[in-house]
Amino acid sequence: MAYVIGIDIGGTFTDAVATDESGHVVAAKAASTPPNFARGMLDAIREVAQELKLTPDALLKSTRYICHATTSTLNALVTGNVAKVGFLTTKGHADSITIMNTEGRYAGFGPEELQDMVRHKKPLPLVPRHLVREVTERIDFKGEVVVALDDAGVRRAVQELLAAGVDAIAVSLLWSFRNPAHERRVRDIVHALAPDLYVGISSEVIPRIREYSRAATTIMSAQVGPILRDYLRPLSAELTEMGFTGSLLVMQGTGGSITAHEAPSYAVTTIGSVLTGGVIGCVAMGSLLGHRNIISTDMGGTTFLVGMVVDGVPVKSNTTVVNQHTISTPMVRINTIGGGGGAVAWLDDGGNLRVGPRGAGASPGPAAYGLGGLEPTVTDADIILGIINPEFFLGGRKRLDRSLSEAAIRTHIAEPLGLSVENAAAAIYAIATAQAADLVRKSVVNAGYDPREFVIYAFGGAAPAHCAAYAAELKAKELVVPLGPTASAFSAYGLAGSNVVLCAEQSNPQNFPPNTALVNETFRALETDLRQRLAAQNIPFSHIELTREVDIRYTLQLSEVTTPVRDGEFSDADVARIGDDFETLYEQLYGKGAGYREAGLQIISYRVFGVGYLPFKPVLPDIERKIADKIAPKSRRRVLLDITVGWQDTPIYDYADLRAGHDIAAPAIIEAPTTTVVVPPGVHATVDRLGNLIMRFQSEVGS
Amino acid sequence: MSFAVPGSEKFVYQARTNAALQARLPPSLALHTVTADAVRTVDPLSYEVIRHRLWAITDEMGEAMKRMSGSVVVTDCNDFGPGIMDELGDNVQVGLYNTQLASSMDMAIKWTLENRAENPGFEQGDMFLCNDPWVGGGLHQNDVMVFAPLFCDGQLFAWTAAVAHQVDLGGVSPGSWTPRSQNVFWESLPTPPIKIVARGRLQADVEDVYLRRSRVPKIIALDLRAQIGANNIAHERIRQLIEKYGATAVKSVMKRMMDDAEERLRAKLRTLPDGQWSAVTYQDQSHLGDREVHRIVLNMTKTADHLRFDFTGTAPQSGMINCTYAGIRGGILPAVLPMLCGDIPWSPGGIWRCIDIISEPGTINNCTFPAGICKASVGSCWATQNVVTECLSGMLDTSPVHRKHAMSVCCGTWDLVVLAGVDQRAQPFVTMLCDAMAGGQGARTDLDGVDTGGLACIPMGRIADVEMNEFAFPILYLWRREERDSGGPGRFRGGLGGSSCFVMHGTEVKQMHMVFSGGGKALPQAAGLAGGYPGGTEHEVIVRDSNIRTLFRAGHIPGELEELSGGQQIVQPEDESDIGWDDVFFTHWQAGGGYGDPLRRLPSAVTEDLAAGKISAQAAETIYGVALRADGAYDEAATIALRERLRLVRAGVT
Repeated sequence: MAYVIGIDIGGTFTDAVATDESGHVVAAKAASTPPNFARGMLDAIREVAQELKLTPDALLKSTRYICHATTSTLNALVTGNVAKVGFLTTKGHADSITIMNTEGRYAGFGPEELQDMVRHKKPLPLVPRHLVREVTERIDFKGEVVVALDDAGVRRAVQELLAAGVDAIAVSLLWSFRNPAHERRVRDIVHALAPDLYVGISSEVIPRIREYSRAATTIMSAQVGPILRDYLRPLSAELTEMGFTGSLLVMQGTGGSITAHEAPSYAVTTIGSVLTGGVIGCVAMGSLLGHRNIISTDMGGTTFLVGMVVDGVPVKSNTTVVNQHTISTPMVRINTIGGGGGAVAWLDDGGNLRVGPRGAGASPGPAAYGLGGLEPTVTDADIILGIINPEFFLGGRKRLDRSLSEAAIRTHIAEPLGLSVENAAAAIYAIATAQAADLVRKSVVNAGYDPREFVIYAFGGAAPAHCAAYAAELKAKELVVPLGPTASAFSAYGLAGSNVVLCAEQSNPQNFPPNTALVNETFRALETDLRQRLAAQNIPFSHIELTREVDIRYTLQLSEVTTPVRDGEFSDADVARIGDDFETLYEQLYGKGAGYREAGLQIISYRVFGVGYLPFKPVLPDIERKIADKIAPKSRRRVLLDITVGWQDTPIYDYADLRAGHDIAAPAIIEAPTTTVVVPPGVHATVDRLGNLIMRFQSEVGS
Repeated sequence: MSFAVPGSEKFVYQARTNAALQARLPPSLALHTVTADAVRTVDPLSYEVIRHRLWAITDEMGEAMKRMSGSVVVTDCNDFGPGIMDELGDNVQVGLYNTQLASSMDMAIKWTLENRAENPGFEQGDMFLCNDPWVGGGLHQNDVMVFAPLFCDGQLFAWTAAVAHQVDLGGVSPGSWTPRSQNVFWESLPTPPIKIVARGRLQADVEDVYLRRSRVPKIIALDLRAQIGANNIAHERIRQLIEKYGATAVKSVMKRMMDDAEERLRAKLRTLPDGQWSAVTYQDQSHLGDREVHRIVLNMTKTADHLRFDFTGTAPQSGMINCTYAGIRGGILPAVLPMLCGDIPWSPGGIWRCIDIISEPGTINNCTFPAGICKASVGSCWATQNVVTECLSGMLDTSPVHRKHAMSVCCGTWDLVVLAGVDQRAQPFVTMLCDAMAGGQGARTDLDGVDTGGLACIPMGRIADVEMNEFAFPILYLWRREERDSGGPGRFRGGLGGSSCFVMHGTEVKQMHMVFSGGGKALPQAAGLAGGYPGGTEHEVIVRDSNIRTLFRAGHIPGELEELSGGQQIVQPEDESDIGWDDVFFTHWQAGGGYGDPLRRLPSAVTEDLAAGKISAQAAETIYGVALRADGAYDEAATIALRERLRLVRAGVT
């Protein structure tokens, strides 16, 4: 028997899923073990082996791939526990990383923080001044050398940095993406002086225009590269020792993986590793259910994450913000707000009811936890409304105290507003779901799509209790709550079925249309590079797929619109079509008539993604078909699911009693070991063959 | 030169009560209104959900404009603003963009209600365009407001608006902004509200009238579409909100948001002591060749829950630095919002109710037609904001609770540099250099100002990467950097400003025209607080006929102007000039003011600043009174002695 293992390493838990060729799937959980996350990962492998009644060594011997999402690089950046990096840049431009285009003062802030600008601060510079050196050299926008590189000056600067004890050197020179000669020469000089030092050059890390984010990306990559290397080396060695002969893969922010061997050189691509798990879980589940357009919604204890899958592929963005620094690396686009079960409900100075963005965290957590939290949270409101059974939270593993929820809501919300505790709880519930709907709408609409053409997937502990409300408001086609054997490890399941994805790109800003030969030459070079790198992964892919795109904009716009383009050789007419395709996409994004061709177009960057398909895919088993049409509820209780309907006597079902084909009449509540699902009035729910709950909305519901 | 223009009076916004305004509207215009009772009884749930959605709508309008605009002034500098107003034009919600621009949207709409309701009248799908600062909706002619009435069941329900700075709308100099201006007739033509979109259709003839005046009509046309698009998005979203919650609920929330902002601001004011604070600022040139300084005086009185801003004593209008009444409001709101309303909804319609303005028409921040106003936004409007900031901070600093929201003046002026010429693709171009958007911010009572942190009136301002500027325009930077010692010294230091230095590059036409307009070269304008020093002055130099090309060929990049041969020409605050192929241009924009006495700054903070290149050793010793050791650390005993000596020097008893 051969296996594939997916492992999702979160801040608290490490989830593992192992599948074999015959559709046998098992999941297991272990505690995460920061800062050495490898230990928790090996624990999870042991757990999953035990579920399979195998020894860990026996499991590993027959495992073909382990794909894992690691928090190690993101964690290193957030805690500042990174390699000591020296930074070399063009003379006159060292301050680029402290000026941060000014936006470093507020990048990544939510509206509340933005508005309080009197209290803003920039983060500390990525590299302290004493580890930054400017080198004399200058290349212009055409890639022509204006001032030659001062070799002796570079040597001096490198020696100073080495003397200062740097672990790595990041090099980002102006216009290096147009002409990398100077950066490569700098690297040669470093290697001549310190052969083993980790050196990152921007023309290889991210050959993209905009020197601030290119420098920040190159520096961060150098900061986490050695960390990732030092994490993966012993882990690989230990797995090998245990008998593993397959490939260890690391999930990247793009939603595709890379081999552990290659990952440290492209370390920055792994920063989004843990955030993408849910989205690729949706891709995997969607491929089984025939869903190509999916909105992924993950509501946990403290955050609400929204991602999208369009035509079977995760929607990506080209930049992201980490600690107020803008970095350039393609990453699955995840929009997030502080929200979820632990989001605190509070009254602002004007006496208005607010929910989030601050959360109560895992400790003290919601008031009902009885860990000293006095502020009411969304979970407390869910308890008051009868949605969450305080006796059956997490399958009964955690007891909650309803009276504490009631006291918290009464003191902080109900009494000051002159409402009953129940009505206050209903208001908290409605605000939390409305905010979730706002974020989903913003994410989908800003990407140029219509939520009505999507299926929403809802997972994470708190999503199933709220998703029907926000899905109905958005008029989504359908709502899927994954509840089968992978329910508790949805991300890990996605990881087990992922593919290797690599990306190559090149900025070469030109007024449109660019020379056709140049377009062909650029794509040829990028694809040659990608094919070599895919080969270097040393994995027998079932097949390889390359997809191309360009970043293009109207003259002088701030941001480009990424536009997919054809493969193969371009003719002049094909190049012209790029402009037309961009304009079509642009109108889709910003509305008919928004474009203005007379302003001219500029093509900025070319990009190719290479997907290496792994020959082995996890298969999910079907659950048992229903025998009887009716299922007996395990109990009934009063529940308030829709404020316009009021309290209703509601049947409560045990997930274990559900079989494929069962219909669930609304209103209903389904209690699963990891979550509670709400089926509010006006919703039709069925159980599919994989054990997922599928909800559809009667027309006019929620409008 | 000042002369009255009979017939121009109708274009002056008249403040009226809403009842008086309503009395002037034709009976044919049905207004959607709600009762005070409906506003009072909005349930907390609807209130929060609708409020949040209205915020999200202005956010979405702003994002759409940024992405759709083709002007760096909009896309990078965020020099634009979206807003939602009620049926009578009172401002319910503004976005976090240029808050100066949000300060007079209500004026333009109220003027339009009064003067356009009958003829040409309003219909769903109409949009108006206005760039007349006497009417409102912007500070100078470059600020163009596109606004649209929203109807619900035949009743005027609300207005949406998008204002954006346009790169060039004509006038004698590129950028529509000229130090030569003697009155508004030298400048871009102000356009009172005209219907540019009728029932959803962009009027080709009206658009042509608008575009014809510009040197870059294509960019202006793209921006116009961005503004129309932003209004369309807002209408679609507000309509969805009405469908779901009903017109009465949505309108009640809009009114309640303004009431809420008002009540909360009043509550905050009540917790502050009553008193009067005053400040004076001077602008150092009003037009080319002027040798005078021009003052703005503010006496701010806080009584119970009310603020009165009295500008009596301000200098008479002069040159092109003047602003209209829209500008005086644009000087107040951008200071009030971040300093007093960091935790209060930004609903200007409610906030204005807590504020009175006293000002004499004919003065530089309340000028009468046809005074020159092309520099209003960063001339007298900006200077007004500086004195308002000083007074508000003085007030906040008296409160242990609120003093953390006091802030010294941020970047005292905008350093305007307009470039015009032929680019590397042989196309004509006009642009404003936006690097000065990285101005230094004022110090706080417990924190240094943010270095190159931006402008107070534009919370989300940003500058373009050097590479993007070099791709777009025929220039090559020698440097862009933070300028050491520019931040106003203080116990908490003002944020550093920065400088850019460049030469022409890559174009066949080896000459560019430049317009300079940045006060604060002779006088600092970012005042410090509580004994803090002001931020450094602006400074601009053209090195004529330098040896820069020779230095490049020899493998050298200068790091200081002194490394260049050639004559250094100091640029006046208001100036115009051509620069040639071998000329090097240097611009150093302003920094933020400091807070508290620099002799009380922690010596360790001083040595950290020294190590980070934020200050010089000279400043550490002579201004901060820190005795340095050879290794860059400080000598404690010697520092105490040095500070004592400097205090005696100050007192004149040495």
